[in-house]
Amino acid sequence: MSTIFELHDVSYTYLARFPALSDINLKIERGEQVCLIGTNGSGKSTLLSLLDALIYPTSGSFHAFGRLVEEEVFDSLSDDAFREEFRRKVAFVFQNSDVQLFSSTVLEEIAFGPLQLGMREEDVRGRSEELMEMMGIAKLSSRAPHTLSGGEKKKVSIASALSTNPQVLLLDEPTAGLDPRTQLWLIELIQELGDAGKTIIVATHDLETVEHISQRAIVMGEDHRIKADRTASEVIQDRDLLLSANLIHEHAHRHGRRLHTHIHPHPGHHPENEH
Amino acid sequence: MIPSWMKVMDEAVALPPSRRLKGSSAFVKKTLDGILTFFQEAMISEGYAKRDGLLQGLDARAKLISILALVFAVSITRDLAVLAVVYGLILLLAYMSRIEIAFFIKRVWLFIPLFAGVIAVPILFNVFLPGDPLIHIANLGEGATLGPFHLPESIYITVQGAKTTTIFTLRVATAVSAVVLLFLTTPQALLFKSLRSLGVPKVYVLTTSMAYRYIFLFMEMIRDLHIAKRSRSIKSLSVLDEQRWVGGRIGYMLIKSLDLSEKVHMAMVSRGFNGDVVILHDYRLRMRDYMATAGFLSLSLALTLISFDYIRI
Repeated sequence: MSTIFELHDVSYTYLARFPALSDINLKIERGEQVCLIGTNGSGKSTLLSLLDALIYPTSGSFHAFGRLVEEEVFDSLSDDAFREEFRRKVAFVFQNSDVQLFSSTVLEEIAFGPLQLGMREEDVRGRSEELMEMMGIAKLSSRAPHTLSGGEKKKVSIASALSTNPQVLLLDEPTAGLDPRTQLWLIELIQELGDAGKTIIVATHDLETVEHISQRAIVMGEDHRIKADRTASEVIQDRDLLLSANLIHEHAHRHGRRLHTHIHPHPGHHPENEH
Repeated sequence: MIPSWMKVMDEAVALPPSRRLKGSSAFVKKTLDGILTFFQEAMISEGYAKRDGLLQGLDARAKLISILALVFAVSITRDLAVLAVVYGLILLLAYMSRIEIAFFIKRVWLFIPLFAGVIAVPILFNVFLPGDPLIHIANLGEGATLGPFHLPESIYITVQGAKTTTIFTLRVATAVSAVVLLFLTTPQALLFKSLRSLGVPKVYVLTTSMAYRYIFLFMEMIRDLHIAKRSRSIKSLSVLDEQRWVGGRIGYMLIKSLDLSEKVHMAMVSRGFNGDVVILHDYRLRMRDYMATAGFLSLSLALTLISFDYIRI
């Protein structure tokens, strides 16, 4: 396996005051499926933005595909082969689909990435149509993003990220706000993309999906540090770890007239073995 | 977990009957509803662009150039009969583009008093434009003044004023009809892109279409803010407090829009945007587009020549 991302002692501070990431050391290998789990505000989204070279470490170093990612190169207006290659290889699905859907129509949205990266227009059209067919959104092609439902928006967001055929897919809370059927569809899609060899990093606090979509789980603590970095099943079964990361809590629960207390994840989730 | 005061449940009390108040001070709600209705209508009218009509079958660029030429020609036309013919022609085009004429006329004439009325109405009266009397309004007597202004002895609508106002209003109505027809028969996405054919830089075209796209999002956010406020309002606020709330929300929306613009930029950068944007070309100019453009340009030229008296009718 070759290393895709490598972070050394990375810290990130918003507005020079609010820490979002502290001393992050992390290596992501090619073809890995990783979940980043943590409570709101633990730094998951910031870490994803950093991995997509949209923000840069306040201190520490970030290497991607063996090369140092520098703000001076990535934020410059002049062309750079590494940056272009990076954008081709890494795609980001934002938590808020409205952020990502800025084009006038669904087709244009999906075509945006490949067009910016210099693909020929006929090829872009062909690829976009195939992708819409695959995602079951072909009939939405000429619709404006604001006329779509939440689930449709998410599908278009994912299609627009996949259209450059990225090696690495970063997803921020992809199942949040989706109905159960669309959630299942998404889990299956992530599994299939993983089987195809894509490197997938998902930020989530939906503990139920972690084992389905990843082999490795990184737990972010409320102090913005990595609390654990182990296999997904180890993390999910480590009750003390999840309690200390505030991902589950003691929960009073009523069965008919009988009130009892047990461990409960955030949000609503009932693992059988805890009853 | 919950404090003791939260455990106290209200007993049912008999409430006095509600009074139905005439009029309403809910100006925020009314304004928001008005704006929202306008945008919802804009969305619904996208349906017209998908109908199988005459103008819908034309290329967006051909339509944009044709309509702009016509608007220019109409704006310099002074002959009432000629304007009436052009207005009739636009109504015919609307009909052939499968747009309900009653809806089309209503949509255009709702705007006319707003744009034209304010400017045109004063010209009717001899106070602003002297002329031959048509309808007598009031007799003020000699030496009447309004503040520092001297008023004429009697106030009347002049023949010249009525003619000028009619021509002006019809001119505005014709130009607005042409533009509304363009908007109704062209999907917004294509309309913005067709600006490229007039030499508007890509980045402006992209920015305009993005602005249009996000207006809807912001409208929904503003509506939700207002609904959330109403759901927690126990007593009506005074106008001043309502205004204070609106002011606060305007500030909040500004911060939100800045935040959103930053994130949208990130989403664009993430997908390879680096200052220069590449967009799809959805155009195909066919013979009928060339013919339509030639027809509109000829009509516009003829109107221009008539208004400069090169052609007499």
